[in-house]
Amino acid sequence: MLKMNRRQALGLLGAASGSLILPRVAIGQSARPSITVAVQKITINGTLDVWYEQSNVGERVFFPNLWEGLILRDWMGNQGPVPGLATEWKRLDDKTVELTLRRGVKFHNGDEMTADDVVFSFSPERMFADTQPDGGKTIYEDDYKPKTDKELPASIPGVARRIWPALRGVEAVDQYTVRFHNASPDVTLEGRLFAFGSQITSRRAWNEAKSYTEWARRPVTTGPYKVVEYKPDISLVLEAHDEYWGGRPPLQQIRFIEVPEVSSRINGLLSGEYDFACDLPPDQVGAVEKASGFEVQGSPILNHRISTFNKYHPVLENPLVRRAMTHAIDRQAIVEALWAGKTNIPKGLQFEFYGDMFVNGWDVPAYDPKLAQSMLKEAGYKGDPIPFRVLNNYYTNQVPNAQIMVEMWKQIGLNVEIEMKENWAQIHDASAPRGVRDWSAGGAFNDPVATIVNQFGPNGEVQQKKDWTNEEANRMAEIIQKSTDRAARKKAFARMLEICEREDPAYQIIHQNAVFTGVKSSLKWKAAPAFAMDFRKENWFL
Amino acid sequence: MLSFVLSRLLRAFITVLLVMTFAFCVLRLSGDPAQILLGPDAPQEAIDAFRERWGLNDPILVQYWAYLRSLLSLDFGMSMRDKSPALQLVLERIPTTLQLTVPALILKIGIGIPAGVYAALHRESVADRGVIMLAVLGFTMPSFVIGLLLVLIFSVTLGWLPSGGQDGWIHGILPTLTMSIGGVGILARFSRSAMIEVLGQPYIRAASAKGVSWRDVVWKHALPNASVPIVTIVGFMIGSLIAGAVVVETIFAWPGIGRLLVVSVANRDLAVVQCLLLVIAGTMVLANLAVDILYGWLDPRLSRKSGVH
Repeated sequence: MLKMNRRQALGLLGAASGSLILPRVAIGQSARPSITVAVQKITINGTLDVWYEQSNVGERVFFPNLWEGLILRDWMGNQGPVPGLATEWKRLDDKTVELTLRRGVKFHNGDEMTADDVVFSFSPERMFADTQPDGGKTIYEDDYKPKTDKELPASIPGVARRIWPALRGVEAVDQYTVRFHNASPDVTLEGRLFAFGSQITSRRAWNEAKSYTEWARRPVTTGPYKVVEYKPDISLVLEAHDEYWGGRPPLQQIRFIEVPEVSSRINGLLSGEYDFACDLPPDQVGAVEKASGFEVQGSPILNHRISTFNKYHPVLENPLVRRAMTHAIDRQAIVEALWAGKTNIPKGLQFEFYGDMFVNGWDVPAYDPKLAQSMLKEAGYKGDPIPFRVLNNYYTNQVPNAQIMVEMWKQIGLNVEIEMKENWAQIHDASAPRGVRDWSAGGAFNDPVATIVNQFGPNGEVQQKKDWTNEEANRMAEIIQKSTDRAARKKAFARMLEICEREDPAYQIIHQNAVFTGVKSSLKWKAAPAFAMDFRKENWFL
Repeated sequence: MLSFVLSRLLRAFITVLLVMTFAFCVLRLSGDPAQILLGPDAPQEAIDAFRERWGLNDPILVQYWAYLRSLLSLDFGMSMRDKSPALQLVLERIPTTLQLTVPALILKIGIGIPAGVYAALHRESVADRGVIMLAVLGFTMPSFVIGLLLVLIFSVTLGWLPSGGQDGWIHGILPTLTMSIGGVGILARFSRSAMIEVLGQPYIRAASAKGVSWRDVVWKHALPNASVPIVTIVGFMIGSLIAGAVVVETIFAWPGIGRLLVVSVANRDLAVVQCLLLVIAGTMVLANLAVDILYGWLDPRLSRKSGVH
């Protein structure tokens, strides 16, 4: 039986009364937890700039917790557009979109977001340098000369023009209304507004920063969490932005910590050191799931693993050899062997969230070694080596996947040689023969422009790096990009798929990418079908 | 003695110069930092501008001469990735690494030498066999295996210690233990061998025959004579205080010099890698210099052999 003296009873009574008169807000604040997320890499270039960190790891730490755009991506839903810093938008014509800004949105520095900040966020100073809106012509590397106020990294204008190839500028109509003016008709302007990079930052914070690096390591944005400390290659600490327009964030702090070793991330999760362990390879999923109190969240994401061809390589010049390579790969066997069946083989380089632009009935090349062999014979292939440049597991399972593919190619008589590379510069090095390389293709927004046009079109990296080009495909890309006739756009997209995946292969699809995150079951957190990790109140149930 | 020290200093200087030169050449021959740091999207003119700004277009001899001149004014260059002084980046990380390596060194010396001496004094006993077995096990197991085993036992199974990170002294326990186990094994083995060799010498028998107590025989005659090979090993260990934790820092997500080295090499951040190698080589050379001088003090015959009278 519980024994209590008079003093203890009075104390308990006092505590109970205190809790009744304590403001509910104060109780809520004291209850707000902090979490630690172990990731393989926080960012690639040591900044937190959306234009400089266009990578999967960047997506994870930026969205939706730090950076926000006028239109947001529905991370936990169908990945489509939802109102963000703009509450509504309308088309004025096929080149112009007008958006009404949400009122009362506060930046992390306390300023209210206005049209001026939006204009700045899409300005030459922030994004484009002195590049001009283009009409579909390839911008070769040699054509571009940047002006670098505050040492804007040289790669940013090129990346920005890939997402916004024809944006002439943004006009502030009034304090809460902006207009996006495009140089050419574009039905995907709204989509581009929620693509990776099109997010809003404070003009004052930029102006006050002494250097680009200073700004980029503590960007002032409108997201539910703000940067309190960033140590490149070590850790990133985000803290609740209590003036967030979407309501008080549920977490006090989010700490991303860089743990390069996968076994260390898993051990840290199981020992309670971390609340989340990201980038689990499929063969480790079972180990975490077996542990009591832990689960693995994850699924295929809007990103396909592909390998691209250099059509200027003497052997690959003949499309028959590239076609043979695409028919030699047993994709299902790869998915079963390396991914334990936990991902899919997509229907070509497209995603279902394209909606009516999705080409039904299209599929990856059939696994047909006999057909592949006959194509090689017809091409007169004599066994010359084809280099295959591979990074050391930059993508999950990249090396074993490459080894399997080389063996499959060997089965049909192809002599493909793996060349291990340290970084992307070595992958693209044009001073030695380039043959095949690994890559991935994501759906930045819900239109083929975001994928096949941006990556393989006239301004895509593949053509900029002089890996591949095709005159007809470029004409199709132009239609997809500029036409306002949806039927014509879809027809052009279907034709571009045919050219890039069958007739004159630029790449081959391997499988859909998947992401697996180990997490404490008690957190009841759900993973988005993306690298992004949603820690807003709608996805936090404790 | 002065000429002995001067000759060693000259050798140390030449060693550091060779390391510097080797690192300088290899880094420039193994990849273009402009391509790596600006990324695959960078336009050619931006790459050219970057190369011009960092002097990468000059002939390698011109670059080397400029590098040596800047070193003379203690300018170690700027990090191309971080845009801050390379030396500052390196100095910021050194204390973090030393938080692991110094306690590890103390453990290695504090456990390894007494264990080896004890085993030698109790040769062929169960304790001797046990020490040898553990020593061999310790230095033959790679540090990444030891580290993961310790994490599995003390973090995952028992939940006593954190598995990684750097949030306080308790986070340093497992990485320190991981680093010290191999060294304890090495020192135990060397101390045992050195002591056994010395204990078999005629002067030890003579001292015992003269009635010197066994304790004094061990402390005053055996240990000082056995210390030369032990000091050599300890010298190496001191020399690797800065650079000896690359693997362990990776396993335990410890943000020290090892992690900086890995990231800087991957990014071809020339100034940082060169500065790191200079600091590492300098530490190693200084440790060896100290060991050489200590040799002369421990065994004056070695100084005389080197021409010091």
